[in-house]
Amino acid sequence: MTLRLASFGIRGFVGDSLSPKVVMDFASAFGTFLGGRRILLGRDTRYSSPMIHACVVSSLLSTGCEVLDLGVCPTPMLQYSVKAYEASGAVSITGGHNGMGWNALILIGNDGAFLEPLGGENVLDCFHAGDFLKQPWDKMGRVASVDTFVEPYFQALEEKLNAEAIRRAQFKVLMDPVGGAGCGYLDSFAQRFGCSLVPLNAQPSGYLAREAEPRPRSSSQMASIIKHLHGHAGFVFSSDMGRLSLVTEEGEPASEEYTFAVIANHVLDKKAGAVITNCCTTRTVDDIAALHKVPVVKTRVGQAYVISALMDEQGIIGGEGNGSVALPSFSRAFDGFLMMGLVLEAMAEKKNRLSDLLKALPRYHIVKRKLTCESSRAYRALEILPERFDPGEEGRVDWTDGFRVDWADGWIHARASRTEQIVRVISESENRVTAEQRAGDIVRIIEQEI
Amino acid sequence: MKEALKVGVSGVRGVVGDSFTPQTALSFAQAFATFVGHGPVVVGRDTRPTGAMIEQAVVAGLQSAGCQPILAGVVPTPTVLILTQSLRARGGIAITASHNPSQWNALKFAERTGMFLNELRAEELFDVYHQQNFPMVSEAEIMPVVVESDAMEYHIRRVVNYVDQKAIRKRKLKVAVDCCNGVGAVHSVSFLREVLGCTVFPVLDQPTGRFERDPEPLPENLKLLCDTVRANGCDIGFAQDPDGDRLAIVNEKGEPIGEDQTLALAVQQVLDAHEKGPVAINLATSKSVEFVARQRGVEVVKTRIGEINVSETMVRIGSVVGGEGNGGIIIPRMHPCRDSYIGMAVVLELMAMTGKTVSELRGAIPSYFMVKDKIRIRGEQAPEILRSLRRQYADKNPSLLDGIYIDFGDSWVHARRSNTEPVIRITAEAASPEEAARLAGEFRQKIEQAV
Repeated sequence: MTLRLASFGIRGFVGDSLSPKVVMDFASAFGTFLGGRRILLGRDTRYSSPMIHACVVSSLLSTGCEVLDLGVCPTPMLQYSVKAYEASGAVSITGGHNGMGWNALILIGNDGAFLEPLGGENVLDCFHAGDFLKQPWDKMGRVASVDTFVEPYFQALEEKLNAEAIRRAQFKVLMDPVGGAGCGYLDSFAQRFGCSLVPLNAQPSGYLAREAEPRPRSSSQMASIIKHLHGHAGFVFSSDMGRLSLVTEEGEPASEEYTFAVIANHVLDKKAGAVITNCCTTRTVDDIAALHKVPVVKTRVGQAYVISALMDEQGIIGGEGNGSVALPSFSRAFDGFLMMGLVLEAMAEKKNRLSDLLKALPRYHIVKRKLTCESSRAYRALEILPERFDPGEEGRVDWTDGFRVDWADGWIHARASRTEQIVRVISESENRVTAEQRAGDIVRIIEQEI
Repeated sequence: MKEALKVGVSGVRGVVGDSFTPQTALSFAQAFATFVGHGPVVVGRDTRPTGAMIEQAVVAGLQSAGCQPILAGVVPTPTVLILTQSLRARGGIAITASHNPSQWNALKFAERTGMFLNELRAEELFDVYHQQNFPMVSEAEIMPVVVESDAMEYHIRRVVNYVDQKAIRKRKLKVAVDCCNGVGAVHSVSFLREVLGCTVFPVLDQPTGRFERDPEPLPENLKLLCDTVRANGCDIGFAQDPDGDRLAIVNEKGEPIGEDQTLALAVQQVLDAHEKGPVAINLATSKSVEFVARQRGVEVVKTRIGEINVSETMVRIGSVVGGEGNGGIIIPRMHPCRDSYIGMAVVLELMAMTGKTVSELRGAIPSYFMVKDKIRIRGEQAPEILRSLRRQYADKNPSLLDGIYIDFGDSWVHARRSNTEPVIRITAEAASPEEAARLAGEFRQKIEQAV
């Protein structure tokens, strides 16, 4: 029970649910959906990624697609490159923020965003029907390796940011790409922005030397050395470079919730515009938006929903509390390199240390809990919450994505993960005890039900 | 019409985009990996445009079940077999539909010995396949792909070790070669020029997999090669099939000498210049091969039709040379499989050592004439028809090894049911075309009566 299908991809455990047959059928469905046109392909460094890569190449060739293989490539870089190569779509093979043994296919549309639900449903229908486009021998697709995507990407990033200010600041930067897709590109970034680079877990081995999900717990290696190395900032990435958490020069691992908050604060200082985020991101973001007098639009959880709303609402910035940010003026992707650049730009322009940037934010106490739960039972567990949990007079209940209650001092949110067999509970409050109490109450109720 | 997937002793064959899909290749690779167990498996392919797609599916199937794919790239089928044995791999997979047209492709499975699976072993594999329940290894146990770019080197080294390379090089023969847009287009010119010192006139030497002639190296398909031999005054012309296991020869006058004669010349050279020992051939191979062997006082053993049957017999009886009349030369000391490269080397060595032309060499072997015929039947009638023939020819000492085979000393006739079509195939050979036609006609009449 580890396979998770969504309109923009499929995720599972290798050697168990994520069989080569499932991968092949899913990729065949996507190739059928694209009608055998041009498609980009990238992967991370996980041990299983080359095997899955072989499945995907075979399927896409069989549907007659022209496959441009970017090799080991961070997902946001792949997303950025879709337009440059005039491709109809892309597939990223990546374990992302999941642990060893997990892997996924992420489907990307011709705009570089995760495949939007309408197209994705067509792919799913085709997958379930098992009726794939099969080209005859003389209409087979072709595959070609491509390595010309790196320069244009960093060139665009340089133009997007105040590169001059960052270079002048001569930052010493620690980067930890968890042995993933980012390893080969850290130098390119550091050189362009005049940083001196201290790489950590930067062998592209696919071995996870820490948890792949960026958060304080996985930042402990970096937190313990940054001060001694006199680093100015530490960046802890997921293996697809889609998520980031920060470590200050003092060695404080900041909650991943503040990645978006720090960057939003900086971006809104320069230009006003709507902020898009999901319904379980820290209230710090709401406060920052209020300070800048801009609206906040809340969506369901996940890159696909946030990016889609970002386009619909013509927002200026979008992100999630898991450590991800997108700027629609750059690309339709949560992009770790862009996030790192924006943080450095904020430090350089404001002549602030990273710890100062964080201290400037209104902060809350946030508690995150994970409950293992089969997805087939998770929704039922959430449905009974209103019966058993009393929000009191002041509590406002919201069902945008799962169960959420807002109070004057904070909020709590419980939902079934779309990528893993878990229920996530997030509780935030001005008061640590209150936050923990509310999280405890909800967890108890769900545990009883499952 | 949908062409069915053909699953049999020679592997899994189908039309790509029809019955043969990436899913097919994946499942069979998973089944094969499960069948041979964790370890290295050699994978090679011919030049067909569908080869890369199938190769990727095979790689994924092998890896997911704990095998390590050793990619030999675009190489002859014999190279896959030789590499499998040299590297002590668990097995090998050749991605090639051999002499079938471009739209076909196939997987052919080899044992760790570098020989194809025999009938019983193939059945075991298909049992595994039909369970459709393939164990998968965990992510940490997945073995990375190894690219073996020197596969052809292994192969050529063995060829060179077998023949007298110096003698061949000294003759500086002029050779035309028809690569059939197959693996030969990648390897044959450099083999003949660099390794054997010939002046080479290649045709159909673009490795496109779009075969510009019928891929079977039959005399009627070799017009371009014949013209090339004549136009350039070549000493000999060689024609390969797309995966480089079969070989046909054109003499210095630009005339095909017949696929059977390729084997006859090779047998002559091995017995005269290398080693004396028994010869093994399949039932439908020409008497001329038998003549060459008997003239040199060695035993001739007949086997069932199918390469693996010849190979296994050769290994069992310690045969030194043999093969199939369709241009499949097997020299076990080199490797017990059909190989056009050892074939070319041995025939060139024969020319170099004797100083004779192909037509002189061919002229020294008596000519036989073969007639082939087939009769459409209902599939289930075949056993009864063959039984009836056996009864009628009981006094002629018929061999029941494969259908019915009757040896008349200087001629023979053979009838068997086809493995791929609902027909009975009749082959007869005699010293004159009339006698061959008479023998085949007699069988045809008896079969028609039985139907």
